Amino acid sequence: MQIFNFETVMLFVGILMITAGFYCMIRTYHMLKIIIGIEVSIKAATLFFTLAGYLNGHIGLAQAFVITAIVLEVIVVVVFGGVTIRLYQKYGNVDIRNLTRLKG
Amino acid sequence: MFMDIIIYISLAFLLFFCLMAVMSHSMLRSAIYLALASATLSVILYMLGAVWAAVIEVSACSGLVTVIFISSISLSKMGKEDVQKLFATKKQMGLLPVLLVFVGIALVILAVSHGFTLPSVAQEAADTFRTVFWDTRQLDILGQIAAVLVGGIAVSVLLRKDESEK
Repeated sequence: MQIFNFETVMLFVGILMITAGFYCMIRTYHMLKIIIGIEVSIKAATLFFTLAGYLNGHIGLAQAFVITAIVLEVIVVVVFGGVTIRLYQKYGNVDIRNLTRLKG
Repeated sequence: MFMDIIIYISLAFLLFFCLMAVMSHSMLRSAIYLALASATLSVILYMLGAVWAAVIEVSACSGLVTVIFISSISLSKMGKEDVQKLFATKKQMGLLPVLLVFVGIALVILAVSHGFTLPSVAQEAADTFRTVFWDTRQLDILGQIAAVLVGGIAVSVLLRKDESEK
């Protein structure tokens, strides 16, 4: 079909990735699995940024945004990984519901 | 034509690896699938002309994030039965491919019925990535540095030993 080119397919794949990421976040209580859901959603956002930059002709600007998103993604993984390890040390499991038991 | 084929194949692999990362019950396999998804995404970024983003995607996400994941997994090892209690049942996770197929079909029907088209590719702007990153978006770099410092401090606070543990 004429309306289907790789840009449209890319947009559809991005929407499916966001759906998968959100499904992962809501269907489990395992901290690391929730981080994986967040990662998948951020990858979809990266895809959207680059596609937008490619279509507009401003790929340099899109790259700047993507690099910022990647840096923040790494920071989120590092901090969540630290929270997971601390949660495991305190409660012996990585159930996210244990976070509500923390005082203060 | 050749570029289109590579992008289509990469998109198929990207979706497959993301789906496997979400559905796998083994955390180690999920981390590896995520690394493969990052590598595939970097191919797509490179084909679209985002060369620097592709390099950082493959080095930071495929490399560094995988190492952090595997470290977290090894430091929070739980028994198999305890892990299974935290996951949604296999039936519920098996719904995900069905859900994605329905969403995909709905998107195709919407696109065809409304004659949806994206705008055609514009001519590339004169600004290079270097000019945009170091001159136009300088404040972004400061924000990133601040975020990295805050993240480092947060992790060092989280992982310090309690008074009672000493």
